[in-house]
Amino acid sequence: MEKMARVTTALGGNALTGRTMFCHLDAPANAISVCRDAAQVVVAGRNIFKIYSIEEEQFVEKLNLRVGRKPSLNFSCADVVWHQMDENLLATAATNGVVVTWNLGKPSRNKQDQLFTEHKRTVNKVCFHPTEVYMLLSGSQDGYMKCFDLRKKDSVSTFSGQSESVRDVQFSIRDYFTFAATFENGNVQLWDIRRPDRYERMFTAHNGPVFCCDWHPEDRGWLATGGRDKMVKVWDMNTTRAKEIYCVQTIASVARVKWRPECKHHIATCSMMVDHNIYVWDVRRPFIPSAMFEEHKDVTTGIVWRHLHDPYFLLSGSKDSTLYQHIFKDASQPIDRANPEGLCYSLYGDLAFAAKESLISSDSNRKPYIGDRRHPIFFKRKLDPTEQFEYISSSSALSVFETDVESGSMDWFVHTAKQYALAGRPLAELCDHNAKVAKGLDRNQVAQTWTMLRIIYSSLGTVASTNLNHSMGKGSTALPLMNSFNLKDIPAGLGSESRLDRSKGESRTENILMDSSSTLINNEDNEETEGSDVPADYLLGDVEADEDDLYMMDHENPHAEEQEYSLPQEAFPLRHEIVDNPSALDHLQDKADSPHVSGNEAETVSLTPVESFSLISISHSLYENRLPSDFFNPIVRDTLLFYAEQGDVQTAVSVLIVLGERIRKEIDEQTQEHWYTSYIDLLQRFQLWNISNEVIKLSTCRAINCLNQASTTLHVNCSNCKRPMSNRGWICDRCRQCASMCAVCHHVVKGLFVWCQGCSHGGHLQHIMKWLETSSHCPAGCGHLCEYT
Amino acid sequence: MFVARSIAADHRDLIHDVSFDFHGRRMATCSSDQSVKVWDKSENGDWHCTASWKTHSGSVWRVTWAHPEFGQVLASCSFDRTAAVWEEIVGESNDKLRGQSHWVKRTTLVDSRTSVTDVKFAPKHMGLMLATCSADGVVRIYEAPDVMNLSQWSLQHEISCKLSCSCISWNPSSSRAHSPMIAVGSDDNSPNILAKVQIYEYNENTRKYAKAEALMTVTDPVHDIAFAPNLGRSFHMLAVATKDVRIFTLKPLRKELTSSGGLTKFEIHIVAQFDNHNSQVWRVSWNITGTVLASSGDDGCVRLWKANYMDNWKCTGILKGNGSPVNGSSQQGIFNASLGSANTSLQNSLNGSSASRYFFPPLDSPRAGSRWSSHAQLLPPPPLIEQSCDADTANLQYPHPRRRCVSRPLNLLPENEGV
Repeated sequence: MEKMARVTTALGGNALTGRTMFCHLDAPANAISVCRDAAQVVVAGRNIFKIYSIEEEQFVEKLNLRVGRKPSLNFSCADVVWHQMDENLLATAATNGVVVTWNLGKPSRNKQDQLFTEHKRTVNKVCFHPTEVYMLLSGSQDGYMKCFDLRKKDSVSTFSGQSESVRDVQFSIRDYFTFAATFENGNVQLWDIRRPDRYERMFTAHNGPVFCCDWHPEDRGWLATGGRDKMVKVWDMNTTRAKEIYCVQTIASVARVKWRPECKHHIATCSMMVDHNIYVWDVRRPFIPSAMFEEHKDVTTGIVWRHLHDPYFLLSGSKDSTLYQHIFKDASQPIDRANPEGLCYSLYGDLAFAAKESLISSDSNRKPYIGDRRHPIFFKRKLDPTEQFEYISSSSALSVFETDVESGSMDWFVHTAKQYALAGRPLAELCDHNAKVAKGLDRNQVAQTWTMLRIIYSSLGTVASTNLNHSMGKGSTALPLMNSFNLKDIPAGLGSESRLDRSKGESRTENILMDSSSTLINNEDNEETEGSDVPADYLLGDVEADEDDLYMMDHENPHAEEQEYSLPQEAFPLRHEIVDNPSALDHLQDKADSPHVSGNEAETVSLTPVESFSLISISHSLYENRLPSDFFNPIVRDTLLFYAEQGDVQTAVSVLIVLGERIRKEIDEQTQEHWYTSYIDLLQRFQLWNISNEVIKLSTCRAINCLNQASTTLHVNCSNCKRPMSNRGWICDRCRQCASMCAVCHHVVKGLFVWCQGCSHGGHLQHIMKWLETSSHCPAGCGHLCEYT
Repeated sequence: MFVARSIAADHRDLIHDVSFDFHGRRMATCSSDQSVKVWDKSENGDWHCTASWKTHSGSVWRVTWAHPEFGQVLASCSFDRTAAVWEEIVGESNDKLRGQSHWVKRTTLVDSRTSVTDVKFAPKHMGLMLATCSADGVVRIYEAPDVMNLSQWSLQHEISCKLSCSCISWNPSSSRAHSPMIAVGSDDNSPNILAKVQIYEYNENTRKYAKAEALMTVTDPVHDIAFAPNLGRSFHMLAVATKDVRIFTLKPLRKELTSSGGLTKFEIHIVAQFDNHNSQVWRVSWNITGTVLASSGDDGCVRLWKANYMDNWKCTGILKGNGSPVNGSSQQGIFNASLGSANTSLQNSLNGSSASRYFFPPLDSPRAGSRWSSHAQLLPPPPLIEQSCDADTANLQYPHPRRRCVSRPLNLLPENEGV
């Protein structure tokens, strides 16, 4: 022990001082007992019987009581007790059934005084009467308790427990005639020393053997018992029926219990096996020890408080052949280390929080409500107001802080996951749709990203070209209209751009971008609310003009400025200006008045195809050598990485899926896989199984794709030989025939195959269904009454 | 805004841990009274105790859920030196009718010789694995080779940490690039200066866990430790509850070709340190996206921490333990994920350079925390108990989307003025 607390306790005149210390014994100890003046301790065991004096710094061996040439079994002690009245008088219980008394006052080396050989089996316990000098009580494995008068040769009276072995006997400290005995069958008996014929009272205290008991030093009615059932129980014996008032649950069978002096509710315990520690419990807090001594390396066999009126010194002997003096100050206190709070974030942003009530009660000075915090069963007894150690309230308050939709809630994630379109439509549409979804959830930055992506990618590649064909097929009326409209519009944009200063170029680019996106968004709003197609169409055209402006700008400006497109920079200031961008509105108004709007009904059939077509046509015709969308790939990659690092893997994965091949090669496979697994895991957490499945299906990672095929097993019997199919495929190992023949049409089933688990016959789903409409028997003619449900 | 819902837990001693399941529909609590309770969320959001049973013969320190793929499985650990695995039994019984479920013990892990202080299931992709740590400083990793048989667990690894362990956390990253990793915190309070947070990483070559890092700056007892959900990040975030709240980032450095298969080296930065609890911090917990950290301390408050777009962490809310929301969190009402960043970007654009005042790259100074606290206090000082608050905001909870757009800029104003 590194900490060497020195404790001095004044005990009316003589003071106890000392520190945590130990000494090595030669052999394992079975029991220890302390002299009345707290200056000496006796240690007894199978091979040891010694007296040590307790010095300030160490134990000093005073006397070895094992004398004589041949070792006698009489020295093999199961228990030892030092008389509390006479400091020369000791008694031991020997494993061979002998009770021996020792007189230290004898001048010879052999201090053995009396020898009682009345018990037939091991004596487990001896006990002196607390006030009567000559009265000794013993309890034995043979089921008897005997009372000896040390002035006589034989026992005075014998008490038969009528049940099993006696594990402990203890004289009551307050009642002169009463003693308690505990038994291996779980019973506790109370006896009157004057009536050996019958016990006064008996009750079942424990489930299994009761190894020990201890009378409370002050409260006359209290008896503590400890048993193999790992419990320490405190019984109130004042009432007619013994009443359990406290129950302490320890972690191993209880070998010894000892009330702590001067502390009404404290009790020290040690265990018989497994656990080597000594615990001091407050019986009112039955689940967690208030102090713990962890010095011993083997089972602690004996514990005793050093002085009757001193609560700070505990002596213990152990099977590890050491004798310890423990100082309370050095004890570890599990309560202090115990975590008083629990906190957990739920999936939906709710927070569960449990905390010790004393921590969260707003004014800590307020006295806790003593009455209602106690649990009725355990705290029936009124608190003693003079209690030395104030009882600490030990309950927790549990509450869940629920988020609402606005703040930390994860609803946006669910909505986004549900509404995003990831495939099955042209890229531009997907992007637009997703941007709209994001916008609807007030995730402007994400919406902006989608819009950007549409601008970057939708103008090129396969999507656009298919659209081209598509709209070509639509009819010739749309085409000229669009073309003429766009062509007319572009020069205006060109003009405006050309007027720009070079120096202003950068900011201007951003503005244009914003214009385009804001109008885009407005446009969507219009579509949504007004439901009329004409202005919407028209606006789309308008947006394209802006986009073209943008690209033209890009084209004109040197590449260095392209770098400014990295998303984090442009996305931020955008939002601010979108809200009320007068120029955009003007623009809008402006166009709405334009006469070109009127005749556009023809193109209402499909918006985006036409639009992208027109974009293509223009950009191709006018600016043949504009930047390929590949050019933006690094930026898009950075964008996705940015989102992932921000914890928004949803956006990263969604973009990844929507862009597919366009961006795939930019991001290494492992990262992609990581994103996918993370996103799928999240979706599954929210129980969005369909979406997670869709993501798995759409993913381009092999490792993700095969998730769906894993761990799905079908057990099939061959329809010919009825044996289980062992190998893969539909050819039976044994009969070498195809097992998936339709029993109705006798063709091999490809696709949905249904079969009866009873007779293994089956076939095409339709055939079987049809068959069973008319017949209930198996179509294969095996006579089985098949049930297809 | 948070609405506090108080639950009569009816535990007879301190509750030491609360844990939500994978789907957030169930909750488990454990207490010193040696029992574990399972709570199910009903349709109307109430939590009902559906099971309560005695699990150990000592204080139950922690309870944790396994991935539902393995069934409804809980693990608990206790002062009685054991950890146990529990499974819910599905079957027709009277319990069912009373709305109670039945849990059976599948296994008891008895290898520890001292109190088992934490138990955590490994991330799902590693299979059914369980890590425990004990007061004598040993981390044990168990595996159930057959996921259908929860009663068979084999002890795979024993890591000796030299210091009494109080908490562990698995790195949840599912990336193949990140090998299994576990962080261990120690509550050893002897006055040595050993690092109280150690990070162990699985080495494919030796098939053993080896110490990859130790956070030397953490020398006070650590009570809780939590890796943030990874969700595709290239780096890891680790929250530590000690005498203050700390957030570390661990960025794996590119493995050298020569040392392939060796331990990963990490670039470790402390990105936030807050002493606002003014005392011991007991628990930290991340939200599902790893963007908000909640911490609770001896002051009985829960504090929420969130990073802005520049990775500056700051307090976004304080919740008083007895259920009354402290109104300092008023701005958190407008803090949903995307908005948070947009919002701060606005701040940036308004006073571009001044915002960088709050930018602290790896800054170890304890002043960092207090500076942020003063920032947070610029908000209108909250009344400690705000009863009517819930009722008022309830009306504003579900505005029409369009109305929300209008009202938002107004909300932003106080914060901008504050900066």
